[in-house]
Amino acid sequence: MAERILNILIASVGGQGGLTLSRVIAAAAVAEGLSVRTGETLGMAQRFGSVMSFVRIGEDVTSPLFGPGEADVFIGMELVEALRRIHYVRKGGVAVAALTLKPPVSSSLGIAPRPSKEELVEELREAFPSIRFVDAVGEARKLGNYRAANMVLLGYVNGLVGILKDESVEAGISAILRPKAVETSIRAYYRGKELAKE
Amino acid sequence: MGKIGRVDVLRAPPGTRAALLGNEAIARGVIESGISVVTGYPGTPSSEVIMTLHAYRAHELGIYVEWAVNERVAFEITYGASIGGARSMVTMKAPGANVAADPIVSAAYGGVEGGLVIYIADDPGPHTTQTEQDTRWFARMAGLPTISPIDPDEARKFVKVAIELSEALKLPVILRSTTRVAHTVGDVVFGEATEPVKYRGFKKDVKRFVRAGMSWNRERHAWLLQQLRRAEELAVGKGLVSSEGSGEYCVVCEGVSCGHLKEAMRSLGEGEAEKIKVVRLGMVNPIPREWVKKELGGCSKILVLEELSPYLEVTLKAALHGLDAEIVGMEEGIIPSVGELNPAHVTAALNSFLGRPTEAAGTEVQDRAPPRPPPLCPGCPHRNSFVALRFGLAKAGYSPSKVPVFGDIGCYALGVSPPLEAIWTEHSMGASISMAAGLKIGGFEGPVVAVIGDSTFYHAGLQSLIEAVHKRIDLLVMILDNDIIAMTGHQSTPAWARTETGREARPVKIEEVVKAIGVEHVYIVDPYDIDKAIEVVKEAVKKPGVKVVIMKHPCALWEARVKGVKAVYRVLPEKCTSCMACVRVTGCPALYVAEDGKVRIMEEDCTGCGLCARYCPYDAIIRVERR
Ligand code: SF4
Ligand code: SF4
Repeated sequence: MAERILNILIASVGGQGGLTLSRVIAAAAVAEGLSVRTGETLGMAQRFGSVMSFVRIGEDVTSPLFGPGEADVFIGMELVEALRRIHYVRKGGVAVAALTLKPPVSSSLGIAPRPSKEELVEELREAFPSIRFVDAVGEARKLGNYRAANMVLLGYVNGLVGILKDESVEAGISAILRPKAVETSIRAYYRGKELAKE
Repeated sequence: MGKIGRVDVLRAPPGTRAALLGNEAIARGVIESGISVVTGYPGTPSSEVIMTLHAYRAHELGIYVEWAVNERVAFEITYGASIGGARSMVTMKAPGANVAADPIVSAAYGGVEGGLVIYIADDPGPHTTQTEQDTRWFARMAGLPTISPIDPDEARKFVKVAIELSEALKLPVILRSTTRVAHTVGDVVFGEATEPVKYRGFKKDVKRFVRAGMSWNRERHAWLLQQLRRAEELAVGKGLVSSEGSGEYCVVCEGVSCGHLKEAMRSLGEGEAEKIKVVRLGMVNPIPREWVKKELGGCSKILVLEELSPYLEVTLKAALHGLDAEIVGMEEGIIPSVGELNPAHVTAALNSFLGRPTEAAGTEVQDRAPPRPPPLCPGCPHRNSFVALRFGLAKAGYSPSKVPVFGDIGCYALGVSPPLEAIWTEHSMGASISMAAGLKIGGFEGPVVAVIGDSTFYHAGLQSLIEAVHKRIDLLVMILDNDIIAMTGHQSTPAWARTETGREARPVKIEEVVKAIGVEHVYIVDPYDIDKAIEVVKEAVKKPGVKVVIMKHPCALWEARVKGVKAVYRVLPEKCTSCMACVRVTGCPALYVAEDGKVRIMEEDCTGCGLCARYCPYDAIIRVERR
């Protein structure tokens, strides 16, 4: 992937670990000797708002942003947010979404539609037929911490696309995550990689 | 090549490569430039500079690094340090510069001895700021040299450049960033550390430091203008302005727009990029006029790329007046005047500038997903305070929808969204109390309420409260005291007995301050005790004059992090009637409606406040201890 710039879009709900995921990828890219730029689009709240993270890695990246239809890799950490941002993935790109639903307050209040998991999966398939779904939270929970879902997703996309070397990802994880969380996160990453092969 | 483990941003040796946020890189810059005093007030996107210095224990390296009560006090602390020869930095978001404007503008006349960096983060978009104000105009008004980096690594370098400029010119220097520099992660390479430079002597010099003498002020004004001319020379000498390529088509860029431009030029295709000369302005005030004339004088067409306002465009039009070049940018609508710039805007602007066909801009995709405006967190005590306010007013015999509630700046402003829809205004720091007083003074007859957070109260609410008490305004003030500056990522307030650095502090208690100001009716209640909180509001609102209700409960997110969550709540589907009372009263994001039409709770998000259970008429929500 050397000369090219790889665009990654992460759609998440604030507090899910989308920002941590973008930082791990950035740190891993730098460990691999690449340049990196990330950009975050988030609301005012620390948590529970709609978050979009741009990550760009390559030989000489200078802009932190890209536009709709320009993501080579799309990671949806939650189904509603995945649907909100799926138009960012380019034709021929790779999209993965976690089978997690966190309905926004507007849905619960009935002032906005209340799509079910199945409906969201259906709509996402319509928008981008090759999208894959992973029960990232379930897998992470089996490993002892549901919060490592972001690393399951990272392993999954890296298994599909081969963005970064395993040792770079491990370096990125140990650079960014709390020492306590490093081991589980690395295991979650490899679990995600395995799932991609299935 | 992989480096295992965390990089110590402050202590890692020169040459270390790391992926850092712009603000983290600036914290590294503090270490590399010998700064010994750092203070500021939290404000997105500027806060992580001090947070990083705290996280990596800069105080153990001999650096004073503490939050201050507001931006003007913070600036004055650094100004005092710098006229004594210490090197210092103050950090703030753009509206913070409005708060600190008075002392900053005067400091351009007094000048400094030790370097002083004023770090101001602008927010094109805006993402998290009340206005899209442009610090570059403020810099020009104040007469302060201002530099603007393009990415995190340059932000790191520019801290040192700012200190050098500041000491060479004896003026404070503004280091100005934007969200896409401050909150972008980029690859950074560390430079050498420099020992912190502390007090070096303070000579009495009244002409310089006493602004009461008008002839002195004229003298200092003349001095300032002379220093700014020197700044123009230094901008060139220090390589803060640069040009690349040649040709009649010239593009001027600044900050992150230079990054967008570089990539947009790559996508132009064979031979096209070579036609363009790029002029980069790392110093945005003053503009080195002679250099600019030399570099841009030969251009037939100039495109200016910038954000927030046509500051550079207007400046260049004046500087190049009388030359033939046609200058275009924001004023001509080539780039947007509102919101931030992205690479697509830059590509489109380049195409139209070069007279090339522009690809049809991608049509805006309609958002098919239900909206997710940021809510108050699960268990947020502000939610309880707003519920108590509504029901308290109702119990006192008022129609809550007819009582104006003046909000203030902080997380509680998120109470504007349904279902709470709790505030009518959110204006500027501390304005809730004074604006509420103004409505009364203007002739409004019913009760009015001002809602303000603890740190905002310390920051600028104090003076407003003094005014309201002194003028005996009938006003209910609710101080939402969650014991932390929550919205910007959890910073200390003046109520803390120990700051982030472990410094022992004298807690300044809100209730003592409020009483000392002369408020007769002061109530303190924990809003988690919702029934009592309602009673307090009901009683307080009837009292004459200014009454203050302090709603005291720690930030739920912080409390959960410190103490953990001991119990959560769960809905018993067989008892739930789908009446939706829980959702409609609280709007808690941990509640959702399942496919069976009944409510459920996302237990990993619930913090166990119990508010939803209190309002379930069917006792369908129960408490479960966490194993
Ligand atoms: S107890 Fe109810 S209102 Fe409180 S956090 Fe949990 S779900 Fe939300
Ligand atoms: S208030 Fe109780 S009964 Fe009504 S929807 Fe909520 S849980 Fe169900």
